[in-house]
Amino acid sequence: MGKIVYDVHYQTTLAFMISYYFYLTGLSAGSFMISTLSYGFGFEKFKAASKMGVVVAVLLLLAAPQFLLMQVAWPVKSLWHNFVYLNPTSAISYGAFLLVLYPLNSIIYGIFMFRDNKKWTKFFGLLGIPLALAVHGYTGWILALGIARDYWNTGLMPIVFLFSAMVSGISMMILLIMIRDRYFTKEKQINREIIDGLAKLLGWLLVVDLFLVFCDYSILLYSRLEGQEVAHFMLFGKMAFGFVVVENLIGKIIPMIIVMVPKLRNNYYLLVLAAIMNMIGILAMRIVTVYGGQVLPLM
Amino acid sequence: MSTAKKEKQNDKLPRWGMVIDLDRCIGCHTCEIACKVQNDVPLGMWRSWVKEIEKGRYPNVVRSFRPTLCNHCENPVCVKVCPVHASYRREDGIVMVDPHLCVGCRYCMSACPYEVRYIHPQKGILDKCDFCHHRVDAGLQPACVEACPTSARIFGDLHDPHSEVARLVAKKPVQALKVDMGTDPHVYYIGLDQATMEIKREVKLVWEK
Repeated sequence: MGKIVYDVHYQTTLAFMISYYFYLTGLSAGSFMISTLSYGFGFEKFKAASKMGVVVAVLLLLAAPQFLLMQVAWPVKSLWHNFVYLNPTSAISYGAFLLVLYPLNSIIYGIFMFRDNKKWTKFFGLLGIPLALAVHGYTGWILALGIARDYWNTGLMPIVFLFSAMVSGISMMILLIMIRDRYFTKEKQINREIIDGLAKLLGWLLVVDLFLVFCDYSILLYSRLEGQEVAHFMLFGKMAFGFVVVENLIGKIIPMIIVMVPKLRNNYYLLVLAAIMNMIGILAMRIVTVYGGQVLPLM
Repeated sequence: MSTAKKEKQNDKLPRWGMVIDLDRCIGCHTCEIACKVQNDVPLGMWRSWVKEIEKGRYPNVVRSFRPTLCNHCENPVCVKVCPVHASYRREDGIVMVDPHLCVGCRYCMSACPYEVRYIHPQKGILDKCDFCHHRVDAGLQPACVEACPTSARIFGDLHDPHSEVARLVAKKPVQALKVDMGTDPHVYYIGLDQATMEIKREVKLVWEK
């Protein structure tokens, strides 16, 4: 109604570093899930992915908090303040503990796996599942508990984050297993069974992920004015390229078609393309989600 | 501790609050400048500012103002989400940031519905309006209140029924910002214009024309 003559507006409190942090934790949680499929749940065909999965999960989770520390203005202070002055109502407080417990558990799980101790591998693998869910789910909670932003403040946020984590983790494992089998084994032969299994899993998880995004946006379009505006901003506004094209078309729909059609799936070149596209799409999703919640002024 | 007992204990303490009478506000931005000078607020940042909007078409135009500051909520989101207890609420209701505890994670900035927090560019810690607690503790008024030429900003103890703020809140029709967030803000406005509360529209919805 009125034309704004003067106003102060602060924006973009959480920047790209947070997006990369979310992305790396997601990849880590996803690859950990893959590694527990055989030892924890008894899917023997995924056994060849287990060792690689746990190593990648640990490495990524050692790298991820570095991005978090780059975002924080006082990184050294935050390293111990987060443990000493913890606040039980803050999601970040729990995150600090999860970011320590989850890699520790993964390392113990990995050690038992490399020593071929099936019993303890299963125990720590199953123990790691809730930790992996928590370590990535809490990143969704961080955003969802920012109650000021209608775009973030939804119960779907942790679930959307979990599914995109699993999806990107599987894509990364497909790529890594193919590279390992093709170049770093004696046979130079790609293990078709495991790649096929992972691709099918990827397809169904992508279906769920797309459904969740559809739920989120269809409800946002009917919500309060701020939510409607964000939804329009994402679907038709400046963010449309990042959200519609990169995240959903390139990142989810095209890979889903490739991995769901057996003829296309059996073509390794297309499968590699699908996995790369999906990884790019999920990175776009992290950036779009973190940035999108903050672009519109609140007051 | 039961709620009744808590309230009784708090009643002995003052509950600081502010009433902004917009019938008196002339939009001179003096409160902004007084705040900046008093609290050494860095360039480009504001603890309190006056949002100014223009309604109507020339020559029939009217300007409306909304002085903005931290609402010193009873149930502040920033305190809930702070991971290191740096954001806290004093017993007398002033919401403050402990600079020794704050690590600059900016989580409270993104959670605050009123967008009144900023990161100090030199110190890297969070900064916000604290009702000039150093002046209030010394028995003075906050800088913005003292500087206001038309006495549009009124500060005082809401627990004391004889204070001017308490009387105004009791007698006049007052409004607060974004009460639906459940934050229970303690900065009240008299004669707040709906147009100054509208968010800046950046996107046109598909079903709007």
